[in-house]
Amino acid sequence: MRLLMTASQIRGLPVVTVRGGEDVAEVRDVIFSPEAGRLVGVTLNKRGFLAGRSRDVLPAEAIHAVGQHAVMVLDASSLIAPGDAPDDVAHPAVERNVIGDDVLTEGGSSLGKVTDLVLLVGSSGEVVGYQIEKTGGGRGYIPLPAQLAVSGAALVVPNITEEFVKDDLVGLGASVDEFRARLGLS
Amino acid sequence: MTESFKRSAGRKVLSRSSAKELGSVSHLLVDAQQRRIAAVVIGRGKKAKLVDWEQLSGFGPDAVMVVDEGALRPPADEREQAATEGKLELVGKRALSEGGTELGKLDDVTFDTDTGALEELLIGDRHVQAGALMGSGSYAAVLDDSEVPSP
Repeated sequence: MRLLMTASQIRGLPVVTVRGGEDVAEVRDVIFSPEAGRLVGVTLNKRGFLAGRSRDVLPAEAIHAVGQHAVMVLDASSLIAPGDAPDDVAHPAVERNVIGDDVLTEGGSSLGKVTDLVLLVGSSGEVVGYQIEKTGGGRGYIPLPAQLAVSGAALVVPNITEEFVKDDLVGLGASVDEFRARLGLS
Repeated sequence: MTESFKRSAGRKVLSRSSAKELGSVSHLLVDAQQRRIAAVVIGRGKKAKLVDWEQLSGFGPDAVMVVDEGALRPPADEREQAATEGKLELVGKRALSEGGTELGKLDDVTFDTDTGALEELLIGDRHVQAGALMGSGSYAAVLDDSEVPSP
């Protein structure tokens, strides 16, 4: 059983230091790498009176944990200026966004369109699935293999993904490990 | 002896050398990494003073004794300033796991009056060993949740 959350649920969460107990920023948006199947970082807003866009970014390597109520970092030095950040964090490519992409199986069936990312709670930003608008209508959740082909308009998933389309995050959390075992991933 | 943050709030602070009353305990400033009380804050706001734990001759059930009133000092940095404004009060603070999950609110904290070492953190009816404390600030006390019993 894995505890999961969507990227939408992360937006607006406070960024809190483990060592200081201070809320040093909040999440504006997530930067995702579909090839790597993980966040590469998050962009930030300021907290409190200074609320508004922050120039600083938080690279995934500096994320201690993504939690249900906060994104944890060790200390405020984890927030860095874009000039000091890896290029994919400082200048995220627009085509990296998979939201709206068609999900097709290797056999050529369309499962739906990607509406959100699903992350592993407690990790530093591992993406384990997608929320989709199913081809037949309604919301669904699919697990992700570690590697898959992404073009910017569509992404290709193994045929067995079709058997793992779940109605909610709890269902997906319960089946992620089985899915990966079936694919021989872990 | 074990004492609690809640019980010691408002306790009189006296000078050992002059027997004068210097004020009352408004706050106990914690060093989260060392898991001990670093200083006692006397009074609130602009007139608030701090006294380092080492400058106490006793943390008693009826009064906190300071060796000499000369030991009282103004806040020396941003964190101590925040403490005089009451922003770092541990009791009532949100308890957050290292993994980013809210565990509840800290209802009280106990400590050893001889050493100032923290003993237990109380979250509802859960007793957490002070060793779980990783950091504390104005937003939250951060705990190692592997040491926190489930509700």
